[in-house]
Amino acid sequence: MSSHQIQSFADALKQSADHFHGLQQSGRKMIGYFCTYTPIEIIHAAGFIPVRLRGGPGTVEKAYSHVPDFICPYLKRCMENATDGRYDFLSGLVQGYTCDAACGVVNIFGDVVDLELIHAVPLPYADGEAARRYFHGVITTLADKLNAMDGRFSNEALQRSIALYEKIYGIIDQLYQQRLDGDLSIDAGDLQTIMDAGDVLTPEDYLRMLETLKKPPSEHGPQAIDGCPVIISGSLIESSVIFNLIASAGGRVVADDLCTGWRRAYPDYGHSEDPVDRLFYRHCTRRPCPSRSLAVDRSRVLTDLAARSGAKGVVFMVQKFCTPHLADYPILSDELKAHGLPSLLLEIDETWQTGEQLNNRLESFFDMIAASTAEKLS
Amino acid sequence: MNANAKTKTRKRLQSSKELGRVITEYYMKCTSAKSEGIPVGWMPPMNGVIELFYAMDLQPVFPENWSPVCAAFGLTPQNFTVSENMGYSRDLCGYLRNIIGYVHGMIDDKNSPFGGLPEPDLLLTPWGGCVPVMKIFHALERRFPEAKIFRGDLPQVPIEEINDDHIAYVISEMHRLVEFLSHATGRRLDLDRLRETVALSDQACALWDEIMTYRTCIPAPFSAAEMGIMFVMVTLQGTQTAVDYLTMVRDEVRQRAADGAGVIENETFRLFWDNIPLWYNMGLFNYFEAAGGVMVAETYSAAWSIRMDPSDPFRALALKTLYSYPMVSCVSISKRKEMVIKACRDYHIDGVILHRNKSCAPITLGQMAIKRQLEDELGIPSVIIDADHMDARNFSMAQFQTRADAFMEMLAAKKQHRAS
Repeated sequence: MSSHQIQSFADALKQSADHFHGLQQSGRKMIGYFCTYTPIEIIHAAGFIPVRLRGGPGTVEKAYSHVPDFICPYLKRCMENATDGRYDFLSGLVQGYTCDAACGVVNIFGDVVDLELIHAVPLPYADGEAARRYFHGVITTLADKLNAMDGRFSNEALQRSIALYEKIYGIIDQLYQQRLDGDLSIDAGDLQTIMDAGDVLTPEDYLRMLETLKKPPSEHGPQAIDGCPVIISGSLIESSVIFNLIASAGGRVVADDLCTGWRRAYPDYGHSEDPVDRLFYRHCTRRPCPSRSLAVDRSRVLTDLAARSGAKGVVFMVQKFCTPHLADYPILSDELKAHGLPSLLLEIDETWQTGEQLNNRLESFFDMIAASTAEKLS
Repeated sequence: MNANAKTKTRKRLQSSKELGRVITEYYMKCTSAKSEGIPVGWMPPMNGVIELFYAMDLQPVFPENWSPVCAAFGLTPQNFTVSENMGYSRDLCGYLRNIIGYVHGMIDDKNSPFGGLPEPDLLLTPWGGCVPVMKIFHALERRFPEAKIFRGDLPQVPIEEINDDHIAYVISEMHRLVEFLSHATGRRLDLDRLRETVALSDQACALWDEIMTYRTCIPAPFSAAEMGIMFVMVTLQGTQTAVDYLTMVRDEVRQRAADGAGVIENETFRLFWDNIPLWYNMGLFNYFEAAGGVMVAETYSAAWSIRMDPSDPFRALALKTLYSYPMVSCVSISKRKEMVIKACRDYHIDGVILHRNKSCAPITLGQMAIKRQLEDELGIPSVIIDADHMDARNFSMAQFQTRADAFMEMLAAKKQHRAS
């Protein structure tokens, strides 16, 4: 994978504002969303472009006229961007219900951005037949709302949209799998750049770019790479500074449990003939998000990932004030410890400024893992 | 105003004094249930599960409600110490940190207030509601591995969008719960008994609504300082005890209203409180009285009264379950704005206190929108008080007094200006 290829994804991110306004001028309508639980296939099938709203590093000032300071930096930054007019290209906001803060921000978003549609999708938490039937109703409501704003949702269109996203997720999943196998030539920051570009491109353009990255697994097998192998877990990371920091402190990310990372691309849609059932299958079998799952279920995923990747520890990179992640941490760290996996909790604010303190903590963590590994070997 | 305001409330209702007996009896029932062979289930409030429990002669326990008890008895600091030592962040909801600290600490101390909480035989973990409550129950599942667990789905729907699909789904969850309870406890649900329980719950709600109506009188017969009476709406809905107690409160309040008996001699300003009270400092409600302010209404108390139709009990339980939480949270901010505006009109409010509650983002989110609408639509000023409903470390009395005093002075100037 060449640096030129990665640069095209980075460029897409840099040029996103112009790109969105270009799409708007060409008559395309864009629907924003915060969480990857949002059924974006429905939005796309109705003829709109789903855009995951990015907060980005920065400060928060004007947003405090709308939100308290004790919600997560991501949502505060999104509100700040909204007050700055940076989402004026949007026609709507649709959010798959996950955490309290996102739900609240959805409900006040219309105070700062003039939108045709604002809708929180009340997704089921359970699986089973009653939940499946309920899910169909929820999806019908969303499709009706999108059609009311000149959308053209149909089951056939949904089949096509799922097929498109299936290809996208398939390529991404393969990249993560290659990283897990030690067979990916780019670092964690570059991989995240590839992922993030999906937020700002149409899925068709994104797929075209992803297809240029396809390559067969190396004939030479896994490559030896330096650094303490770790999993990074959290909600979203919007700055490659974090990955660079981990690398410079002596770590190497071999797998992730990030909302905007591997968790987004996994799993597939199953094999049902009914496209809504396929969405339901994916919804129910996704890797657990702390807003909707038990910490013990997450610990199973993390220990499994560690076993497959050879990770020696887990770095939890949590947005400050993020209740779902903070509330899971004590149980998760206990469970992981019981499986011989040390963990480190780092909290980050909206500036994404890391500083020496964070570096020291990471260095100590990796040193501790190295010492422990050496002790076991001796 | 007095800088050394007391943390305990000054109550005026005789029936508030009777509340102590009701609370003690409830907790004695909780603790004696075990020895009497009555299964104890821990559950979140604000749903239709409580009526099912009372109809099946099971004992409901509300860990969320136990937290205000801990706050009133000054036990929260030690519970916080336990949970924070386990790794729970101080940025998390105080209810969560308190109850997790309690179940890993002083739950075995039988000298705790009311004998403490009995360990659960059943845990009713909510999917939905606020994330902290969900996470409390996940932690409880781990702490009490012997308890039988039911995880109930409750998708979050804004009130204005609730439709038959949502209702049908919650009804199906209610039936699933009954099946679970029957299997887990060997007790069967009698539908007539459920209808009676729902009817009692509805009576309690009707009484509650009537009691609140008397607060529209000028002067108001009681203030938010008496909000402890809400205890029966949280823990005893569906029982004759709640109906009897609320009847007593209603009779007293009605008489006070007829007599023109107010909370203070010269009620000058009628105030509204948004968000959960400071359970460790309910005396704050009395603070405004020195400047002629009476807290005559609040958002939190409104969410506990959902009228129910006993002829279709499962639908009634489903509707209560769907409606309750969105009424106070950020699930339905437009509805909340509407409710606050209506309350301010009905209760002739002069000013609003918005408690920016670090322990509760779901209620706090949307407050700024409410603040703007109050000003734009009704010309009612409001003030933001930074605090926390459980954690006294997030509250500064001096800062509160500075803001509250300035606000009351502003209200006085406004009134004077209007008069001149």
